Order: sequence, then structure tokens, then C-alpha cells
Amino acid sequence: MTTYLAIDTSTSRTSVAVVIDNQCVWTDYRDGATEHGQSLATLVKAAISDHQIIDSVVVGMGPGPYTGLRIGISFARTFALARGIDINGVNSLDALALNFHSADFIVATDARRKEIYWARYTNSVRVEGPSVDLPETVKSRDLPIYGEGAMKYSLGAHENAFPNPALLVTLASDPKNFVDEPLYLRRPDAVATVDRA
Amino acid sequence: MSDSIILGIETSCDETAVGIVQGRTLLANVIASSVDEHARFGGVVPEIASRAHLEAMLPTIEKALRDSKVTLADIDAIAVTAGPGLVGALLVGTSAATGLALGLGKPIYGVNHLAAHISVDALAHRHPLESTIALLVSGGHSSLLQINDITSSIAQLGATMDDAAGEAFDKISRVMGLGFPGGPAIDRTALDGDPEAIDFPRGLTQPSDWRTRPFDFSFSGLKTAVARYLEATPDFHKANVAASFQEAIVDVLLLKALAACKESGIDSLLIAGGVAANSRLRALASQRCEKSGVRLRIPRPDLCTDNGAMVAALGSLMVMAGRPGSQIDFEATSSLPVTTLSLTS
Ligand SMILES: [Zn+2]
Repeated sequence: MTTYLAIDTSTSRTSVAVVIDNQCVWTDYRDGATEHGQSLATLVKAAISDHQIIDSVVVGMGPGPYTGLRIGISFARTFALARGIDINGVNSLDALALNFHSADFIVATDARRKEIYWARYTNSVRVEGPSVDLPETVKSRDLPIYGEGAMKYSLGAHENAFPNPALLVTLASDPKNFVDEPLYLRRPDAVATVDRA
Repeated sequence: MSDSIILGIETSCDETAVGIVQGRTLLANVIASSVDEHARFGGVVPEIASRAHLEAMLPTIEKALRDSKVTLADIDAIAVTAGPGLVGALLVGTSAATGLALGLGKPIYGVNHLAAHISVDALAHRHPLESTIALLVSGGHSSLLQINDITSSIAQLGATMDDAAGEAFDKISRVMGLGFPGGPAIDRTALDGDPEAIDFPRGLTQPSDWRTRPFDFSFSGLKTAVARYLEATPDFHKANVAASFQEAIVDVLLLKALAACKESGIDSLLIAGGVAANSRLRALASQRCEKSGVRLRIPRPDLCTDNGAMVAALGSLMVMAGRPGSQIDFEATSSLPVTTLSLTS
């Protein structure tokens, strides 16, 4: 019996779950694109007061807006260090895709700056992405689009728009799904003095 | 009962730093800097700093634990810089600290970076700091403070009206082609120069300034004067310009700090912050304090620049004074004022 703590901060929603043997026994979330740190502390405090023993941590590695994403990963890593337990990262869009059952579809989350993070799934396998692009570019593929990004740009359905943290644990059962580094998908904005005109 | 062990995390700018302190004893001080990645941009790039913090965080904590020969189970409380600083950088540190605190079930202290610079003094002295004037000079801040008890309150006597002293070093270093960060570069170049070669202006030292803003600083006039001098003097003597510029900054910092000692009747001066590592400031401060009968304290250079030990030191002073920790959901605040020592409930 393994008790997992799962954390996702890759979207404007901060969500936490405790999963024991594929059974989600505790889950909650808070919305707010600039409050991941405070939300995460509050949620995990509540989760571990109900489930003190945690054997493993699973964290969504994005893609997602930088600051929120880093809050989840930074927290998850030190929590696991403090407990002396395993930690694994998985792709947050893959978890989001598990919310849907079409044969061929796209999931998208908000990447800010008028762009979306997205990936395409055919028969439950990721066949394209993760990438970051303008909504029009993704829309032109003419496939159903789900998720927060679809919602924001009126590209598709409104239900189950966020990664479910319990499904991060499902992904983590296969080591092929492990992601070690945050999925930023963009280089930092910076202009070197030597490059300036 | 032995003193509590505090682990401190600092990520307000470009150093990922972790210190471990027991009472007033330094056990470990580990710093991973991303400064080389910023050098070609001529300044700290926030997104590059934040990415580097996340990469360096776990290895830095693990190295601090190895150096200190304590285990996480021995840690009694976590302290972390809650501000001021770059918000994206601060958040990597505060979320790491929160993960540790919740994982270990130990209290967390979200503390002020500026007060931490001053608190690092505790690691060099067995006895609590008596009332003192503090000159806090760094890349982001230049202020004169009065401190009676670092765990309860700081009063601000004056601050810079424009650039911080360290910022002035960076900018002048850049126009002189000496590179980034500017403080050490100018300090090195100035060693071979004459500090009296060029008479650069001392900001806010006119008689009217001493009446209205005795403890405030301004370095923008100096910056402009140096830039003009460089333009007008194509074959300028690098070492002399560096030494004279540095002298103008150091001179005015000490004039005002000692005036604050005199006016308050407090014959103790503490100089802290990254600029306190400057060799000319250290030398001139000790000369002038001796002359004025003021006791001088300056942390050793590696504890002046940003580090985790200073954060752990402030946390430790808070614990020893019986102050409560922060709420677990405290908010990192990029513009935290120096007078807010810690985020309590
Ligand atoms: Zn500093």
C-alpha cells in the first residue's frame, strides 16, 4: 500500500490529492493565478493533517506559466527531501488528457501572452507536443480542443478544464512517463548588453 | 538544553543560499550563484535567476546539511527570506522552505532580507547586539537605521532618494567597461588609483541638505558627474576614476552614518549588506570610527554579500527571543519594508 501526495500548479488552479492504491482519498483545489504559494501551503497542510504518512510525491512538471510551476516543483522536492521519500514528475497535459475519451483530440492550457500550451492525443497516446503556440495555429488543426486554454480562447468545451492531481499518480505508475525538468517550452526573455543595438 | 538549530534559505536575487545556525554558531553556509549567467546581460535577469534557483535548491540544501553534519531531523525551525527581492526568485525559496517546514512538521519564519543582513552580526559575537546605528548598503538598498532589538523593531532614519550604492557601482563599472557585478570590479581597479585624483560630488551634503535630509543619500548626481568626466576625458586613468568614484560614495556613507551616531548619542555603528564587503569602506570606516570614539562592527566579507547564514541567524534570534513563527501561507513580498522584520500571524 503506497500513499501518494500529488501536486499540480501548472495552471491558474492549484490542486492537491492524496491517493492510496489508485483510490483518491483526499483532494481539493484553489483558483488564483498569482496565489499558488499560499494555496499550496494551505492545501497540503490540510491534506497531511488527514493523512500524516506519505510514501511518495508526484508533481506536475508543466508545461505551465513559470512562477506557479516552479512553486509546485520547489515545494514538492523539499517536502520529499524532508520526509526522505521518492518524488517523480509527470507531464501535466498528459494528466489533463486523461479527463477525456475522444479518439483524436487536443488539450490546451493558458500560456499567457496570448498563447496556449497544447498537446495532441490519438487513442490515448500523445502524438504531438507539448508545444506553445497561438490559439489560431492550434485551432487550424480542426480537432476537438479541451482544457483551460480552450475555454479561455473559446476553442472548445468547458468541463474538466484542469489537470486532476489524482491522475498524475496514474501516470506515475509507468516510469516511461517521468519528467525530470520543468517543461518551460520558452527561453527566458533577456537581451544581452552585447546584443543590444 | 542546547540551542535550537535553524536552517535558512535565501533566494531574493541571484544567489541560491542555504545556511545552518545553532544559536549564535554558524554550522554551514553554502551559496550557488547564477551571477555568471547574468554577466553578459549587464545585470540580473529575473527569469534566469528563478530557473537557476530551482535547479540549485536541493543540491544547496544537501551540501549545507553535509557541511554542518546535522540531519534534517535535527532542524528545529526553517527561516526564509520573505522579501524584499525579485518576486519570482523569492517564491522559489519560500515554497522550498514551506515544503521543508510541512514535511518536517517544524515552524517557519518568513523574514526580512535587510534585517537578516544586520542579524548576521550575531554569528560573530557571543552577546546580543546593543543599541546601534546600522548602515545597510547593497545592490538594492542604502539606508541608515537605528536598532534597539533586531527581533522586535528597526527605525529608519534615512534612505537613498534614487540609486542604491551598489547600483551606482554596477552602473559606473559598466560605463568604464569593468564588467558586472560592479562592486568587486571597481574595488580591485581602485587599488592602484588615487582617491583624491578627481573631486567627484558628494550627494546631499550641502548645508541645506544637512538641515532637511541629514540621513538620506543620493548617488544620481555622482553617477552623472562620472559619466560626464569619462566622456570629456577620452584618455582617462581607469584606476584614478575608480578610486575617486569609490571615495565619493564611501565618504558620504560614513559622513552620514557617523552624523547619525552623533545625533542619536549611540556610539556604535554596524555596517552590513553587500557593499560592506568593499575594502575601502571597511578601511575608512575603521579609521573614522576610531577617531570619533564609535565602536564599529562589520561582518566578515563573505557574510556581507547575500547568504543563507544571515537568514538562519535572524531566524535563530527570533527563536531565542521566543517570537512566534509565520503562518504557513505567508506571502512573499517583493517590496517588504525594512521595518517589517518578519511575517508573523
Ligand atoms: Zn542583500
